[in-house]
Amino acid sequence: MRYLVVIIFFISIVVNAVGEKFFNQVIIVNIILAIKSVDLLIDNINQANSTRIRMQFGNLVSSWKKVETTYFLGDLNEDYLDTPRYIDIFHGNNEEIKPQLDLIINSNDELFNAMYKYSHKTINALEYVLFTKDLSHQRVKNMALIIAKSIKSYLSEILDGYKMYQSKFLENEQYASAILLNTLIAGTYKLKEWRVGDVAGLSKKFKNKPNNYRAEYATSGNSVNAIKAILETQAQIINSPDYQDLGDISRQFKARKEIDQAISALNDSIANANNMSEFDFINDKGKRLYQSTNRLMKAYYISLMDKLGFVSKVLDADGD
Amino acid sequence: MITFVFLKFHPKQQRIVLSKKLWLHPSSLLDYSYFIFSVFFRVMIILPVIISTKEVALFVNIVLLNQYGFVRIETLSYTQVMVLFTLILFILNDFTRYWLHRLLHFVPWLWVFHKVHHSAKVLNPLTFYRVHPIEFLLFGFRYSLSIGFVTGVFVFLFGSLVSIYDILGVNLFVFIFSLLGSNLRHSHIKLGFGNVVELFLISPLQHQIHHSKNYMNTNFGGFLSVWDYLFGTLILSKNVTNIKFGLEKTQMKNFQSLKDLLFFPFIVTYKQIKK
Repeated sequence: MRYLVVIIFFISIVVNAVGEKFFNQVIIVNIILAIKSVDLLIDNINQANSTRIRMQFGNLVSSWKKVETTYFLGDLNEDYLDTPRYIDIFHGNNEEIKPQLDLIINSNDELFNAMYKYSHKTINALEYVLFTKDLSHQRVKNMALIIAKSIKSYLSEILDGYKMYQSKFLENEQYASAILLNTLIAGTYKLKEWRVGDVAGLSKKFKNKPNNYRAEYATSGNSVNAIKAILETQAQIINSPDYQDLGDISRQFKARKEIDQAISALNDSIANANNMSEFDFINDKGKRLYQSTNRLMKAYYISLMDKLGFVSKVLDADGD
Repeated sequence: MITFVFLKFHPKQQRIVLSKKLWLHPSSLLDYSYFIFSVFFRVMIILPVIISTKEVALFVNIVLLNQYGFVRIETLSYTQVMVLFTLILFILNDFTRYWLHRLLHFVPWLWVFHKVHHSAKVLNPLTFYRVHPIEFLLFGFRYSLSIGFVTGVFVFLFGSLVSIYDILGVNLFVFIFSLLGSNLRHSHIKLGFGNVVELFLISPLQHQIHHSKNYMNTNFGGFLSVWDYLFGTLILSKNVTNIKFGLEKTQMKNFQSLKDLLFFPFIVTYKQIKK
């Protein structure tokens, strides 16, 4: 009996792994694609090709959201905790950057000095400059390039960071699964509450006050694109046939029902997002997406509670 | 192991603990049969209640999310969160266990049910399970609510970094305290810890004192005696020399069979309501 317990203990350590394949095929590939996207966008800005710029910005949004959805580098080294906030200030920064950017455009100050804040060089700033300003204006074009290059620099930093801490992620599988699940839950809450609920008037903050222009990328019309990228990345984490993922691990730990519920809610959310256009947040389609992402978040939390397995652990010491 | 060491140095107690008289005493025989019943009862009735711990945790987590939005404390490491969660779970579990146990003694209609446990004339490890089903349910609810609450708060603050240190499926601290002899609470092994330690940790002898007719309203603690110390119900083992287990003679006759243990409290309750 004792030997059986020891064997089960070691097997549980071995199977509790989100492996190297996952790391390379999802984490590394997604960050490389994001860097390629920003590279192409920089080329398009240099050529001032407005049609291609619009398309390529959409690609950058999509690839960045994929990186953001699985961002756990800050857990591996806290020096990287704030890096996403240097790229993206959605819901994380109360300052109004649009009038600040207008002031910079209309001034004669050296751009390097004028754009001194991190928020001036984020994807949110880039969207404003690319989609509301005239790129034939050299100062605007230079601003766009400074922002895009700054984003590229932070993305490259993230890639280097992941490569540096890959072994740390892979050496402690239980920890790896925990931080990955945490990232999923945090991302799903933000998706449900900020990216859909605030817009659809279903969140506590904006109850019954729907407004399509509150969407994450309302200026460029990439909000649904961003949501699809987030959901597709979640599928890469919990429902991929190509490598061992969190879904496989959950099944090995007999949480088949819980993970199936999560996958079902995820598939519903993807279908709802695919069925939406940029102006659908405030109607039934937005409401459906809010409900399915809410189910998804709860399913993740249930999986988490299940992982704890606290039920049997104190029971035997109960009663007096 | 503690038992063997203790008995080696106390040969007189060795005779008592190994005596046929103790293990085949009618009270012990009743404990054995009641234990078999309690296993079925726990699986059929208590387990579905315990499952709701997860529901309580989820409910608390969702309420906090709705109230305060998404919060994540990132300043504590994985190990720190695990230690903190395991420790708080243990302390809260012990604290609520103390209060429920105390209520079982001081609330008259609860005492009727808790008497079942105190009706054991001799103690053996299975006396631990001589608990009326109503009491099992109360402990089940206490467990679900307290553990569910603290888990919900921790998951809200730390997400999936929440985990528990356990040894063979048992909370690390429960395991350590069990090694320190807490499983000798229901035995005739008179193991005391000395005055200083007994202010913080319940010794087996202190719980045996709790089972004596004259001191049953003292030493309600589970693993920690600090609750008894703080709330004025502590008695140290050196202060008690004569221990007689069970209830008064007139009451003992009501707890002689499995049927008595199960139904007598209901009969008393019914009579009280009818009055």
